[in-house]
Amino acid sequence: MTTTSSADIAIAATGISKRFGGALAVDDVSLRIAPGEIHSIVGENGAGKSTLMRVMAGIIESDSGSVEVFGTPVDPGTRAAIDAGIALVHQELSLVPEMTVAENILLGAFPTRFGFTRYKDLKEIAANALAEIGVSVDLDERVSRLSVALRQFVEIARAVARQPKVLILDEPTATLTPAETDYLLRMLSRLAEGGMAIAYISHRIPEVFEISSNVTILRDGRQVLTAPIADLTPQEVIDNMVGRELKEDLQTHRDATPGEVVLRATDIEAPRVNSVTLEVRAGEIVGLGGLVGAGRSELVRAIIGADNRTAGRVTLTRNGRSVTLSSYTSAVRNGVGYVPEERRTDGLALIMTVSDNIRLPNRQQLSRFGIKAPRKIAEFAQELADKVGLRPPEIEREAGQYSGGNQQKVVLAKWLGRRPDFMVLDEPTRGVDVGAKAEIHRLVKEMADNGTAVLVVSSDLPELLELSDVIHVMRDGRITGSLTREDATEQSVMTLAAGEAEAVA
Amino acid sequence: MMAQQTAPSAAEATTQSESSRLAGILTWMSQNGIFIFTAILILFALIFVDGFGSLMNITDVFHRAAPIGIVAVGMTFVVISGNYLDLSVVAQVATAGVILIAVSNSYGLFPAILAALAAAMLFALVNGTAVGIFKANAVIVTLATTFIGLGLLRFFSGGSIFFGPPDGPIRTFGLGKIGPIPYSAIVLIIMTIVLGLLLNRTNFGFLVRSFGVNESATRLGGTNTALVIIGAFLVTAVAAMIAGFVLAAFSNTAVSNDGVGYEFRALAAIIVGGTSVFGGRGSVYRTFLGVIFVSVLTNILVLSGISFGYQQVALGVLIVLAVSLDALARKVAQR
Repeated sequence: MTTTSSADIAIAATGISKRFGGALAVDDVSLRIAPGEIHSIVGENGAGKSTLMRVMAGIIESDSGSVEVFGTPVDPGTRAAIDAGIALVHQELSLVPEMTVAENILLGAFPTRFGFTRYKDLKEIAANALAEIGVSVDLDERVSRLSVALRQFVEIARAVARQPKVLILDEPTATLTPAETDYLLRMLSRLAEGGMAIAYISHRIPEVFEISSNVTILRDGRQVLTAPIADLTPQEVIDNMVGRELKEDLQTHRDATPGEVVLRATDIEAPRVNSVTLEVRAGEIVGLGGLVGAGRSELVRAIIGADNRTAGRVTLTRNGRSVTLSSYTSAVRNGVGYVPEERRTDGLALIMTVSDNIRLPNRQQLSRFGIKAPRKIAEFAQELADKVGLRPPEIEREAGQYSGGNQQKVVLAKWLGRRPDFMVLDEPTRGVDVGAKAEIHRLVKEMADNGTAVLVVSSDLPELLELSDVIHVMRDGRITGSLTREDATEQSVMTLAAGEAEAVA
Repeated sequence: MMAQQTAPSAAEATTQSESSRLAGILTWMSQNGIFIFTAILILFALIFVDGFGSLMNITDVFHRAAPIGIVAVGMTFVVISGNYLDLSVVAQVATAGVILIAVSNSYGLFPAILAALAAAMLFALVNGTAVGIFKANAVIVTLATTFIGLGLLRFFSGGSIFFGPPDGPIRTFGLGKIGPIPYSAIVLIIMTIVLGLLLNRTNFGFLVRSFGVNESATRLGGTNTALVIIGAFLVTAVAAMIAGFVLAAFSNTAVSNDGVGYEFRALAAIIVGGTSVFGGRGSVYRTFLGVIFVSVLTNILVLSGISFGYQQVALGVLIVLAVSLDALARKVAQR
């Protein structure tokens, strides 16, 4: 490590350890970030990155270790951390949807006189914060009306408004498009040039190489290494994250031999979806590409009935018999499976066990006359947990105790048990570590090989290209183009998604 | 498999940090403390409170506990589904009692039971539809159906008291007992066992709990959630009806004021029993113990000559302690 005196270091976390239940989430980790430095923290899901950041921001108290800002020890607690100049941009957005942009930016720090809010000052400070990060948005707009990307920027403005010495960002680009990500990275570089110390968490290795000067790699809560980014290659970073050589042979394509049309959706209309027609064949993986907000999630939810559609017809055909899908429950009954975009709120009951979560969609076959069959449930859940590679494969543990990647495997296991004829996956590997991602890809391909018709929504272009036999690209609620595997490249998908060809007008 | 995760071995480590141990203790206490507290309270009463152990007093405790208890074990389903409570059990208890006595006086017992059942189902349907389909707030909806139910009942009954015949099946049931245990308490015990099995062993009970934990995930698991909610209100309504029968049979009279205060007393028993007001966590058996605890405590205060006002204070303090413990356990566990 460097030999500069501790007073020159913006933030120094020393010997941080934190235990949750039986598991050591962070194990004796030390981190020093100088003013003007962007320091990336990488690691698989469950490696302890978020826990470490939350300790540094005073949200959780560590079991041992200390945090210093410019040589001054920081007491535990969020208030002390904020006062010391540490600001955290959360992984999950923490804005109040029904309040305005300006109010959200200064939430918890409203300028007041005699206890009354001074709205003029409030708007001025908020405007300055937005100007500093170079984002233009109406200060009086309610946050609920903003796009996900804009909310992310408001969140950052909120941190910046406190003029922090240390800015911590926990996967800020997870929900952003490549263009928005680019913008964010440039903004961070600018903030760093102004002397801010930035701790940056991401799964996306190219970003890390683009902006950071140093990188710390965590694995299973331990600090594997801290080094200048220039001394490492992307492959070395990944190898250190996963602790093994990642086999590239997983990237091979399947030999798809699509069968009959299983899913036929005709003229689907719904909010943000304009007259979309598409088909998915047995054994085929159809990808849906596009920017965030293009209407992809809305489309798949309208197709399966998870949200109401205003027009259109959906038929599901298997073994020559067709049914028209009218509601979500009828869709599930007729062999539809759905891995939703939001794992924690829509995919899992976090405080229920893995076994209970798997039981939910499979309850009918695991009961007799509505009375549960405990032995059957245990065998069934265990078999699926093993199949998806849940680690550790303990089905009586609460789902919420697992890392993101493992949680996503549980969501997949729920539906694998039903052997669906038509499977919809919305961002199946968002916020999932490299190892779990490869396993989920393997499972999806296997499902298609067994004859399931699969529809995948993904903002992760390499993933979309790897999985899909056909890619439909959406923009403004319509399919703007379709690409076969041979034609599809990251560029061709992005061109259709951004609509550059038509952008002349 | 590909990864050689070390997380499992770390998870098996025996030393636990202070806060997670505290979380464990708090969670355990908020959910299972009622077993210990009830046992200690009964033991205390038997040793120190004069007259507590007499057969007559035991019968009296059971008589008072039974109708509230029957309402409480039923309403546990609504609480676990995450819908706080069903205020309209007040109206449901009174309606069932009045129908039982009034209709059986004119048409016989069997039509009376059928009519009461129809009324219970109507309550459940209105509450369940508004909450389950239209997503209205359960507290407000059941407040409204309380007004509607009691209003209609007073209109049709003219506010008069209905007396049952001095002999007959209702009277026989109301006075009957096995040893010191009245029939009403046996109904409570049977209801507890039946509803306990319904909650723990059936798909319906599983879905009620699952809905209380995460509504969205339950729906996306292919569940008609409206039916689950209507079902939870139906269980509550049928229990309230039976409670109304038991209450009417005990005094052999019925009036539209019957069951006043039952909604909150039942909720008190549910909360003291350790069922979470946040939904998802709870048990019918613990509600039963909650009822016993609250009834025994009240009885001790009565036997000790402590006035009604202080009894209410004691119950209030108890509820604050129980919900605070529940909330605290949740908060510590989330850290």
